[in-house]
Amino acid sequence: MGVPYVPVVGLVGSSLLKRRDDMKICVDPFDGKTRSVVAKALRPDVALFHVQAADPEGNVSAGYPSDNVLLAEASRTVIVTAERIVERVRERDAMGSFLPGIHVDVVVHAPFGAHPAGCPGEYGPDPVHMAGYVRSSRDDASFAEYLKRVVFDVPNHEAYIERFVPKALAGRLQVAGD
Amino acid sequence: MPGRAYSDAELLAVLMSREVRDGEVSACGALSMIPAAGLLLAKALHAPDAELIILGSSAYMPFQTSRQFHYLCQRGELGLFFVSGVQIDQYANYNLHLLGDADRPSVRFPGGYGGGMIYYAARRTIVFRTEHTRRSLVEKVDFISAAGATPPDILRHGGPSKVLTPMATFRFDKDAGRLKLESVHPPYTGGEVAANTGFDLGDVARVREAPEPTTEELRLLRGGVRTAMIETGTYADWARKTLGEAPAVPA
Repeated sequence: MGVPYVPVVGLVGSSLLKRRDDMKICVDPFDGKTRSVVAKALRPDVALFHVQAADPEGNVSAGYPSDNVLLAEASRTVIVTAERIVERVRERDAMGSFLPGIHVDVVVHAPFGAHPAGCPGEYGPDPVHMAGYVRSSRDDASFAEYLKRVVFDVPNHEAYIERFVPKALAGRLQVAGD
Repeated sequence: MPGRAYSDAELLAVLMSREVRDGEVSACGALSMIPAAGLLLAKALHAPDAELIILGSSAYMPFQTSRQFHYLCQRGELGLFFVSGVQIDQYANYNLHLLGDADRPSVRFPGGYGGGMIYYAARRTIVFRTEHTRRSLVEKVDFISAAGATPPDILRHGGPSKVLTPMATFRFDKDAGRLKLESVHPPYTGGEVAANTGFDLGDVARVREAPEPTTEELRLLRGGVRTAMIETGTYADWARKTLGEAPAVPA
């Protein structure tokens, strides 16, 4: 929306409000009486999206309904990773939501970029990997080990796919690419 | 529960369905299996023109974006909402965030902004909890995700209406700003409810019993509602397991 703050019906008396400095209770400037929360606008420096298809101009088809247009509008830099790069994404052909290229700064071709989560219409979450992730997140040491193994020690995205994406899924990509 | 011809989940779904008004917009959040069943039961039984929003489903989700749902609530168009709280206190504050000290919690829950907004924006909210113990119904919640009462000059379209558990129904007394025991769910007694509640309920000897689920309600819940949930992929596994395995109700 681009406005500096927005009033919200809700949250008064919650512990959340006490712990946030970006939400305050203000008097309605028109009736001079009624009070409600106003929330400061969020302006992320960077927003990241993983989507099904994007074109070189940054037009994006995210095949599920979502708030990504709102998030892209609010963010200063928008980076999109896509399962497929296609010649052209038009609004009328987009599945779910369409993100116009004018909001997008960077497009990256990243098959399985959502792994170990799922990408609707492409592949589901990887339950085995997810269970391991949950186990290792129980303490700092095991989570550091997980990050080292799955993130920091992986030289590039191809190596990630090779090591972590189940072969059955990776094989499907080959078929789809033929 | 031994002595009942229905499960706790079925009881709660039936009690929830009775809160739905025909023609009104009623909604429940993501991972709300019991309210989803309750909403569908109401629609099948007494509220054919109820507008249902089951967040997280595709069959009962009229919106593309959460912004649309947010502003429907902000406009005061949501009549009824169901929310669960890990802790619920005597002031109808509920906690869906954390246990212990907020700076060093022993457990964290999903929390979320949605309920903290909807509790004030929906005309009526039913809070529910499948566990009725002194650790879930407490004097004071560890963290207030949303507050039952607010000062009169605060813009608010509605608030808590009732709290439902397998043992009892509480009504929110707006003037007193407190929960009052409205009814017990047989075979539980007022004494048993008081013994399992972490705040004072006053005199519970004469509390009335809530009408039990009727044969018709249970038959629909285990029939049409179960089928609709399975066919539309709305908590299909839960419906198959929870609404299917219960003993058949004699006609």
